[in-house]
Amino acid sequence: MNVKGTLPVLILEALEQESDHGYRIAQRIKERSSGVLDFKEGTLYPALHKLQNEGLVESFEGVEKGRPRRYYCITPNGRAILAKDRAEWRQLSRAVTLILGEA
Amino acid sequence: MTTELEIWLKQATRHLSTASAAQVRAEIQEHFESAREAAMMGGSTADAADRLAMAALGHAKAANCQYRSVLLTSSEARLLRDTKWEARAVCSRPWVKRLFTAMPGIVLLATAIIYFTGAMAVARVLSIGGVGMSLFFIAPFLPLYTPSRGRVFRIAKWAVLAGVLGWAFGPLTLEWSWLLFSCLWPVAWIEWTRVSIRRKLPVAQWPKSLYL
Repeated sequence: MNVKGTLPVLILEALEQESDHGYRIAQRIKERSSGVLDFKEGTLYPALHKLQNEGLVESFEGVEKGRPRRYYCITPNGRAILAKDRAEWRQLSRAVTLILGEA
Repeated sequence: MTTELEIWLKQATRHLSTASAAQVRAEIQEHFESAREAAMMGGSTADAADRLAMAALGHAKAANCQYRSVLLTSSEARLLRDTKWEARAVCSRPWVKRLFTAMPGIVLLATAIIYFTGAMAVARVLSIGGVGMSLFFIAPFLPLYTPSRGRVFRIAKWAVLAGVLGWAFGPLTLEWSWLLFSCLWPVAWIEWTRVSIRRKLPVAQWPKSLYL
């Protein structure tokens, strides 16, 4: 399923639990959706950079298995936006379920 | 690095600045290695792991399009470099700085003198020059250090510029609009590029020129 447009909020959701590097963020999104939400991983980093430019995510250098890696973490602003987006999504989802449920 | 990944990276970093391209290369190589390792741990052969990792990255052109909307392109980086060079050239020479701040005042004073001598047409042209100079020469020395102040200044700048052009051409503004557009397009292009840079750079990294 195409996640275009929802990828930023999925990234914020993945980072809310713990800071991580790009590859694991992508895997976590795919695993948590049981593989339904699939996206091309080359588009993950532009989305991460956009979130970083907007001040919703911060990055820092880390090391994993002796290799330098760039880790990303959510900022307080990012948490606030995520809470707002989550509430909006629930409202929208409820409304669509009401309509489709009736059909 | 595999040839396929090298080709992918070349396409994905097209038109990006050197720093942006290096950043993309580092993060995609890191990602590719992780994906490759995971595939091999899952039982894939080295070749199959390469193929899986490449397929997961998707189209390089699509990635390039998205990267160009969030990272500095080579033309944007060039504009930033040039404006930094200009600012350094002015600020490192106190006499140039004094000349820049004094020039609009001198021109406006000359306008007033010429106006009182009765040469109205010359005074009008000089006053337009003086106002234009004030906008561009004094602006770098104004206390514009926050995005909101910068926004207010830019609105004022364009309003004054439009007013000055309207004043200069009077009722002939529409008739001469072709000349205005052809003369002002480089300014408009620079402004548009700055809008794009403002979106991409965090405020903490903005040079003074981005506030103007």
